[in-house]
Amino acid sequence: MELTDADLLARVLVDGDQHAFGELVRRHQSPVRGLLRQLVRADVELADDLAQETFIRAYKHIRSFRSEAKFSTWLYRIAYNVFRENARKRKELVGIDEEQLQAETDPHTTDPALRHDLMNALANLPLHERTAVTLCCQNGLSHDEAAHVLEIPLGTVKTNVLRGREKLKKMLAAWAT
Amino acid sequence: MNDPLDNLLDTRLREEMPYLDDAGFTARVMKQLPRRRFSLSTQRNLVIFVATIMSVVIAYFASGEGMFVHDAFARAATLQPLQLLLIICACATVMTIAGLWAALTRARDSIG
Repeated sequence: MELTDADLLARVLVDGDQHAFGELVRRHQSPVRGLLRQLVRADVELADDLAQETFIRAYKHIRSFRSEAKFSTWLYRIAYNVFRENARKRKELVGIDEEQLQAETDPHTTDPALRHDLMNALANLPLHERTAVTLCCQNGLSHDEAAHVLEIPLGTVKTNVLRGREKLKKMLAAWAT
Repeated sequence: MNDPLDNLLDTRLREEMPYLDDAGFTARVMKQLPRRRFSLSTQRNLVIFVATIMSVVIAYFASGEGMFVHDAFARAATLQPLQLLLIICACATVMTIAGLWAALTRARDSIG
């Protein structure tokens, strides 16, 4: 019988069992790396470096996990914080480059060929919409969980998802014609 | 969600999140984990071990520096060889059963 995340967490907490933590990493590495790839716009090496930092930070602070949220949600929250800190270092934090990001969403300034690929369309969304759409529509988090991860109000998450989806629909509609 | 574009978007978004093969990622993370500190179970084992040693030392001095051991050996020396053999066999059986039980319990709890 496969152990649940809670069982593995208990082993990490009580026995300091690093093999149990390894199993947790194996289970959650794909969605965490996927999320970070979306956030850093497919820079695979950077995304994997951030994912590594995410899991190492999770291990160091595992005692602060209170089981109020799912373990995966807690990991996404750490991943998003790691990304934000890195973006701040690279001066790419939301708001600072928002004008540039907004310019990239303008269909007139975007190479029409890019619209053939949804991933490129997604990458062109402003960061806060891209993150919300990725968490809710790709990773399957509820709006509540996404709000917990991003530490923003529930209404803002809903708005960001809605706006992001509308922009993607526009891009897909243009691509379809 | 009746809008066909919505459906298309939902489907495409989910499809665009493929499973990423581990490809050594977990091993790289495990290499970078900080060294393990004493876990709760290790601390518990240490406390039990120290308490046992202290109890033995206290018992040794409280019983006239181990005279009970001397007495026990003296009593064992008076036993028949067959009685001694039976006692040794019984002890060995109990130890074997306890060891097997511990090993089986550990194997059942181990990961995958």
